[in-house]
Amino acid sequence: MRKTYQVLAFLIAISVVLQAMWIGLATFLLIGDLDDGKTIDKSYDGNWADGMHGLFGTGIIPLLAILLLIVSFFAKIPGGSKWAGYVFLAVVVQIVLAFLAFGVPALGFLHPVNAFVLMGVAATAGRRARLVGSAAAVPAETAPAV
Amino acid sequence: MIVVPLGYVWWGSRVPSTYNVMDMGYVDVGGGSPVPMTGGTPVSDLTGPATGAPAVTVTLVARRQSFRLASGEQVDGYTLNGRSPGPVIRATQGDLVQITLVNRDVGDGVTLHWHGIDVPNAEDGVAGVTQDAVRQGGRHVYRFVVPDAGTYWYHSHQVSHEQVKGGLFGTFVVQPRDAAPAHELVAPVHTYDGRRTLAGRTGDRRLVTAPGQNARIRLVNTNDGPLVTWVAGSSYRVLAVDGHDVNAPSEIRGKAVVIPAGGRADLEITAPTDGRAARVDVGSAAVLVGPAGARRAETPVPDGRVDLLHYGSPTALPFDPAHPDRRFEYRIGRRIGFENGLPGFWWSINGHLWPDVPMHVIREGDIVTMSISNTSGDVHPMHLHGHHAVVLSRNGVKATGSPWWVDTLEVDSGDTYVIAFAADNPGIWMDHCHNLKHATQGLVAHLAYAGVTEPFTVGAGRQDVHNHPE
Repeated sequence: MRKTYQVLAFLIAISVVLQAMWIGLATFLLIGDLDDGKTIDKSYDGNWADGMHGLFGTGIIPLLAILLLIVSFFAKIPGGSKWAGYVFLAVVVQIVLAFLAFGVPALGFLHPVNAFVLMGVAATAGRRARLVGSAAAVPAETAPAV
Repeated sequence: MIVVPLGYVWWGSRVPSTYNVMDMGYVDVGGGSPVPMTGGTPVSDLTGPATGAPAVTVTLVARRQSFRLASGEQVDGYTLNGRSPGPVIRATQGDLVQITLVNRDVGDGVTLHWHGIDVPNAEDGVAGVTQDAVRQGGRHVYRFVVPDAGTYWYHSHQVSHEQVKGGLFGTFVVQPRDAAPAHELVAPVHTYDGRRTLAGRTGDRRLVTAPGQNARIRLVNTNDGPLVTWVAGSSYRVLAVDGHDVNAPSEIRGKAVVIPAGGRADLEITAPTDGRAARVDVGSAAVLVGPAGARRAETPVPDGRVDLLHYGSPTALPFDPAHPDRRFEYRIGRRIGFENGLPGFWWSINGHLWPDVPMHVIREGDIVTMSISNTSGDVHPMHLHGHHAVVLSRNGVKATGSPWWVDTLEVDSGDTYVIAFAADNPGIWMDHCHNLKHATQGLVAHLAYAGVTEPFTVGAGRQDVHNHPE
């Protein structure tokens, strides 16, 4: 369970990096479309990289965050549920910011900032789980010497 | 503790695969007298004239295919009679029109909705509400009298977000009975795969017009978003909006006119007397109005917008909206919740998520007002089927111009419009967002007349094809 917690937490942190990659790619694909003479209007559904950003942002990452929260109750990591809760909260804030930004584009300014927060708390949760793991492993190996 | 109520909300949000729209949501009588909701005439009986020789007869064959735009680009989509847009249907006010829709090979099924034409309910072409979708190999005959002159369009109302976008639409022009046809261009503006077209072509096109001569451009916005249109090299007038003439339209200079998704505007342009062309620009495509070979360079979009609330001169309305029989609210918001079991950030109507939306119930003869407000953060072109409504106010500011009649009203986030209409066309009518993607996301309500019953169902219909109007 501890290992699962750790893997989930790092997967969330990595997904945030992927999200930045998708949106960067999407921007340049969009510019490429414009250069090819395409019109971007409301009928534009976004390109495939936008689609991946949406899939990760409203599908994969929330799912990982919910799983992390559930797993945290069984992982026996001190503060594990607290940090999983922070991750979950950051995901909720991130989605709310994204949708509100359609009406208030200025909020788009905060969406990437909160992404750093999410990556930070997820990475911290993962690192804490790893530390608990090594702390548990170290005494077992060094016990005879003590 | 969290899981049980959440599970309850989730369970309650689910929609059966087949349902009758009359079972959706809750009844709202708009503060008017109570309305019995049992018994009466089925929608399928509210047809146009069954007998009589039609003045206009058209057959439209729908296909799912790859085709070439008139300007040559390849598009994978839908056609009517082998092309998209489909043929322009032309009729004269008061004509009986008979249109046979044939579905050659559209697997999802098709229908045709006569957008803006106030047809009898059974001719309205909404799958699962006014008919069953026409399955592959099937046909359906629409017969109706065209009551009002103006610019309209037709499109599929089955899986419409995909079929309309892919090209399953055309234009419909009704000439007034007593007027000579104008020098005109019917100009649907549609974006196919990121290619914006005007009257089926990308780029610029020309309406050959002698210097000083007037031309009428019938603009039809078939896309999902607002269409900004501006004119360079000439002043212009907005002659009609949504198929209804503007009273005493004044000359416009240096302002753009915004046409909501699904809406229409007829512009009058006078070709410049210096022999150059005027340019009607819709962004990435334009019409040049002038002699052959005359040119006009592109100009940027002007900042100003024509405000139809104050455009033209007032004239008497056919009814008095001051003392309505019913007052409805249609508040569009957006909130977190479950829609059909799916968590998301969904459009809400009066705080409720689809399908738990109001069913606005009226009686024939009622005068009805509706306050449409939008706090959802996105623009919504609201389309009421079967009726034209007059705009009374926006954000409390009363309309002072020509009566502004609409079938499709752009309601921007932060705005509140009050509209009024006469309940003169019994049936069960969709009242939805014409950003058709938003309709699939639940921005759909209905207007139901007392004494009309719904024989059709969304989902599995009586045909072997499922009805999915959005």
